[in-house]
Amino acid sequence: MEKKDQLFKQIFDSNSKKIFHLCYGYTGDADSANDLLQETFLKVWQNLDKFRNKSLISTWIYRIAVNTCLTYLRSEKRQAKDELTDSIIENSVEEFSEKNEQVALLYKSISKLEENDRLIITMVLDELPYNEIAEISGISEGNLRVKIHRIKQKLTELYNQHARI
Amino acid sequence: MQEFDHIQSLWDTHKVEVKISSDEMLSQVKKDVGSIRTRSVLNIAGMILSFIAIAALWLFFDFKSWTTHAGLTITITVIAVYTFILYRGHKLIAQNDFTAHPKEFLSSLKNYQLDRFKLYNRLYWIYAVALSFGIVLFFFEMLSYYSFWKQCLIVGLTFGWIFFCSTLVRKTALKRERERISLLIEKFERISKQFKETA
Repeated sequence: MEKKDQLFKQIFDSNSKKIFHLCYGYTGDADSANDLLQETFLKVWQNLDKFRNKSLISTWIYRIAVNTCLTYLRSEKRQAKDELTDSIIENSVEEFSEKNEQVALLYKSISKLEENDRLIITMVLDELPYNEIAEISGISEGNLRVKIHRIKQKLTELYNQHARI
Repeated sequence: MQEFDHIQSLWDTHKVEVKISSDEMLSQVKKDVGSIRTRSVLNIAGMILSFIAIAALWLFFDFKSWTTHAGLTITITVIAVYTFILYRGHKLIAQNDFTAHPKEFLSSLKNYQLDRFKLYNRLYWIYAVALSFGIVLFFFEMLSYYSFWKQCLIVGLTFGWIFFCSTLVRKTALKRERERISLLIEKFERISKQFKETA
């Protein structure tokens, strides 16, 4: 049990930041991201013995996190992050800076993407290798490159649209 | 007009802080379950205290009438039986740890929810009726020491309290507990189910 504890701690420490960022990209707020992070790592904890080393452990955790985020959005029928990102913008009025506003706009733009596109772009932004993204999202590497190109264009377009408003 | 590089740099500069450690995370789950366990223990402790109080009353006072003894017997038996039922329910959630045995714990939690539902419905009415009957018998001797108005006041307050507990308190407690357990079951089911999909 102690060995499992140590291994889990190690896995948590080396992956939690990236997973939190991914969840943040999905939900747009720290509290929900924190809940999703906890759910993801609970699954990791419970199923650590079943991990077969067929892929990198980080890939395995990403897959769990992605499913957790998707189920969260679907089951809770959350309206993307409109309200949440609005609250980020409102909150940032207090500590207003151009940077804060731009970050809030970025999350708002991500929220306008399709669920799967949102997942792919957050992994791209987190600079995951393409082969890993392909494995996590279940898309062939060739198709993925085209898809990523389109998502990047779409996101840039959305960001510029919001920035103009 | 911004390019994707600008978006990438924004993402990179937005530093996120993970405010929880691995230990805190696991203990948080235990805490969620712990609050239900604590309530269950408090319920049992309350019943044991009532049992002791009535047993003390019986031991230290010299009651003359058989009705008083019959009333106290019924009351104390009902309390003992219900304490045992509560203890049996408590055992369901006390045996397993969700972080160590998720499947077993989830199944126990569902049984516990069912157990509590029965306790707050049919079993509660049996409890209330038996308790009222015990109190009525107990009052035969006890109330004879008081004036008529005091008798009315004691009877009114006692049965008013039983009625209040059986209606408002029971419904509110049942609703709250059902919501609390359902939320935990939902969360734990989501965790188990999602893994089956991803694994």
